[in-house]
Amino acid sequence: MSAILIGSEIVHYEVLGRGRPLIFLHGWVGSWRYWIPVMQATSISYRAYALDLWGFGDTAKKEALYQPEEQVKLIDAFLNQLGIGRIALIGHGLGAMVALMYAAHFPDAVDRVMAISHPIDGSMINNRLRSSQPASLADWLLERNPMTDPVRMDAARADPKALAIALDYLSTTTFPEIWNRSQTACLLIHGQNDPAILSPTVEQMMAMPSQVHAIGFEDSGHFPMLEESSKFNRLMVDFLALTSGESPKQLQLKEEWKRRVR
Amino acid sequence: MAKILIAEDEPDIRILVKFTLEFAGHQVVTVENGVEALETVPSVMPDLVLMDVRMPRMDGYEACIAIKKDPSTQHIPVVFLSAKGQEAEIRTGLEAGAVEYLLKPFAPDDLTERVNEILARYGKS
Repeated sequence: MSAILIGSEIVHYEVLGRGRPLIFLHGWVGSWRYWIPVMQATSISYRAYALDLWGFGDTAKKEALYQPEEQVKLIDAFLNQLGIGRIALIGHGLGAMVALMYAAHFPDAVDRVMAISHPIDGSMINNRLRSSQPASLADWLLERNPMTDPVRMDAARADPKALAIALDYLSTTTFPEIWNRSQTACLLIHGQNDPAILSPTVEQMMAMPSQVHAIGFEDSGHFPMLEESSKFNRLMVDFLALTSGESPKQLQLKEEWKRRVR
Repeated sequence: MAKILIAEDEPDIRILVKFTLEFAGHQVVTVENGVEALETVPSVMPDLVLMDVRMPRMDGYEACIAIKKDPSTQHIPVVFLSAKGQEAEIRTGLEAGAVEYLLKPFAPDDLTERVNEILARYGKS
């Protein structure tokens, strides 16, 4: 794990693999750590970076930095400081919001966005996300098993204000408002059993522009990358393999390829 | 190929890092403490300094500050390699002028990739 200074504040990140750069952004609960299994899945073909956003994990906790625009500036400064060029962004919850905003602000810097568990509008957010402390959110959203331990460990270290400020922003902004400023290919992923964020309706999915595609994970809650990791990784690899600018609408969920054993 | 100076007092780590980076094609010079680092950097003029924090005679923080104060060596990027991950220690290292603070342990491949990235970032690869 590494630490750098951005402005005069510490930012923690991890990096794995070789190839085209990917940036993973964590959600409301946890930190960069829960992306490790996914980063390992991409490490043969991609250089995967995961960082802690302001207010989370080991990165600095300063309330003045928790506004979504500041999180977007963090991503920009991170990419500039590390000399990273055009990227694919994979964001979860809060990280999905930041990823979409970043792509809207800097469309030339982003090749594609995968947005997991992101609400289409504020009405789709369970109020419990707003009213609970980060540590108890981990208990609510996750089953207890070794895969979810990294999330739990880091959940209690988040500054609740960072969560609250982001949720306030989402209450007044809709996904189409963010998306109308961008033409970047986007794959929306939702766990259909997510207690925190409602999946988009059929009408909402029909109204999505051509560069946006939504896929639901039937057996997942808020963390499809942990709960159905094989399917998630396969879908992610397929999305990343699309030609630049190609619509993701052809993508479907598939089972992980398994070697036939005689 | 770049010229890299490693300042590390633990012989096993020093040898491992040296071997890893030489295997990656770099020229590596090693020293065992901060005083030796300050004596060696101006004559060797490495493209990168990898510095441990806790070393005898002079620690990595002091050595980094001195490297950054010297006009002839201040352009050389310094990276801390440390097992110490407390926020205060990381902040001290970065505010001493290091461009990055890497936490041990790290796999040899990971170290090589990060070193190559940092060298590219500073136009030294």
